[in-house]
Amino acid sequence: MIEPDLRAFLEGGLGIHIGTRTSRLEPNGARALAVKVEDDQLHLLVYLAEVAARRVVPDLRANGAIAVGFARPIDERACQIKGIFVDARQAVDDERRLIEQQVDGFRGNLEHIGIPRIGTTGWCTWPAVAIRFRATTIFEQTPGPAAGTLVAARP
Amino acid sequence: MTVALESLTTCFQGLLPAQLFTCSADGIPNAAYLSHVEYVDSTHVALSYQFFNKSRRNITENPQALVFVPDPDTGQGWSLRLRYVRSETEGPLFDRMALRIEAIASYCGLKGIFKLRAADVYEVVHVEPVAEEVGTLRPPPHLAAAAAASPIFTINALQTLSERIHCADSLETLVDSILLALEETFGFSHSMFLVPAEEKDVLVTIATRGYSENGAGAEVRIGEGICGMVAEARKPIRISGLMRGMLYALAMHREAQQPESARKRIPLPGLANPESQLGVPLLARGELVGVLCVESEVPYRFHEEDKASIELLGSYLAIAVQNMLLQERTADNVTEPAGTVQPAAVVAPPPATQPRREVVYYTADECIMVDGEYLIRSIPAKILWRLLSAHAATGRREFTNRELRLDKSLNLPEWKDNLESRLLLLRRRLEQKCPQIGLAPCGRGRFALDLRCELALATKP
Repeated sequence: MIEPDLRAFLEGGLGIHIGTRTSRLEPNGARALAVKVEDDQLHLLVYLAEVAARRVVPDLRANGAIAVGFARPIDERACQIKGIFVDARQAVDDERRLIEQQVDGFRGNLEHIGIPRIGTTGWCTWPAVAIRFRATTIFEQTPGPAAGTLVAARP
Repeated sequence: MTVALESLTTCFQGLLPAQLFTCSADGIPNAAYLSHVEYVDSTHVALSYQFFNKSRRNITENPQALVFVPDPDTGQGWSLRLRYVRSETEGPLFDRMALRIEAIASYCGLKGIFKLRAADVYEVVHVEPVAEEVGTLRPPPHLAAAAAASPIFTINALQTLSERIHCADSLETLVDSILLALEETFGFSHSMFLVPAEEKDVLVTIATRGYSENGAGAEVRIGEGICGMVAEARKPIRISGLMRGMLYALAMHREAQQPESARKRIPLPGLANPESQLGVPLLARGELVGVLCVESEVPYRFHEEDKASIELLGSYLAIAVQNMLLQERTADNVTEPAGTVQPAAVVAPPPATQPRREVVYYTADECIMVDGEYLIRSIPAKILWRLLSAHAATGRREFTNRELRLDKSLNLPEWKDNLESRLLLLRRRLEQKCPQIGLAPCGRGRFALDLRCELALATKP
């Protein structure tokens, strides 16, 4: 479902946010740091700071509904992937390099639009948690009338 | 609410995109990006409704929302838990948000394409910092540097500006002293002042500060760019960082597609990489007398207090400009009784060693070219041609504003002719493009033609 072009975009260092909800349908959210698309093109690992995970993982364990938004600041290209939570675990040292690379890519993106890296140096990147989920739908989210269009689905 | 919303006004500039989290009635979360969150009052914010997307649909089913907004000064993220209250399709809030969208669209060359359907107002139920988006304790160095370069605005600064307004004895000194004061008082080193041109729906630049080209005579259509949008809406506009960067790229693209004829016009001065712009209309008794615009290469340069200060200054300046124009016109009537014509002042021809400039007046276009290069058009061109022709025929050097006003061939309006601003514009263009021809003030309502070259005059159709 996640074609190579889209995978390259997702793993290129983007602004990433995870949306969840409580049992009372209150929305929750957190900034994520990096993503890795598995070779089956269906499952994704999303990394987020441990302090952020504390807010959303309880929701995921309770109801499993997850939405992840991806945006590239330099051209506003954006998409959203929704799916079903599989599991969450502590990120290991071997994954730290991947996280740092993508965070660095995102900061480079911000730099291109005039936001210096130092403005985001305080953001937490480690320790991190890896959330694994199965994608069910992909939506276009680049600003404009086509935002929200369903790109792919596999319920 | 644990944090006062007023303390987060810097977050509502759209420098970094905000995130909106919603949830449908059947429990599917949604994470979307927002370009802008508008501060409404101490307990409300508004989100723009342009397209009927999933977030909007979710809100109609479930009024709960969560928004993340980053503070551009410190990097600290803030989480706003919201509850939808109402949608406004008219009124000040709607107008403010619609104007911002129009200003953006104007930069993209897409004015009129994007429409604000409604300003969705939300009650802010709770505010807290986003734990993973920890801000630096102090503003980043570029902002600290900008702050250091700009003394903190106080009432004293307004007094200083007010004194300069009162001391000015001409439109030229008034405008120049204000642009200088903006730099000295606020550190706003790139500014420009435009007034309505005689051509309908056009603004013309009469003064700038901080640019390599003075830009006098550069024209902007009402509704185009930030200056044109400010004039059209008659409301202040501020654009910051991210949005401006995106728009700039689009504006560059549009510029590359402009026809050759458009490039022959005087370009509006501007920074190569502007990140922040602030424009205010100068309104006096309901009349638009000008537009004041400042810009900076710093992404979030114009803070709330700067915006408020410039708006206040704009209201003073508008009345001062209008009074100055009325005063100069009245003074003309007092010092120069009707029918009085200055005696011809014959001066010696310039020495043979002085350069020779060819000045051609194109009657059809009403424009003047000097040595084949565009100088000026419309009423300022007609004025210059009248002066040069009179000097060539009779040797006259001194002229009065009053005789220009009485000259029917210039087609100046009977009332509000803006002659002083036309003369100022002409003087600035000559300083830049043909400094051997000068217009030197020599008393109220009088000026002298100062020639330091040999002239070859010609007219062409």
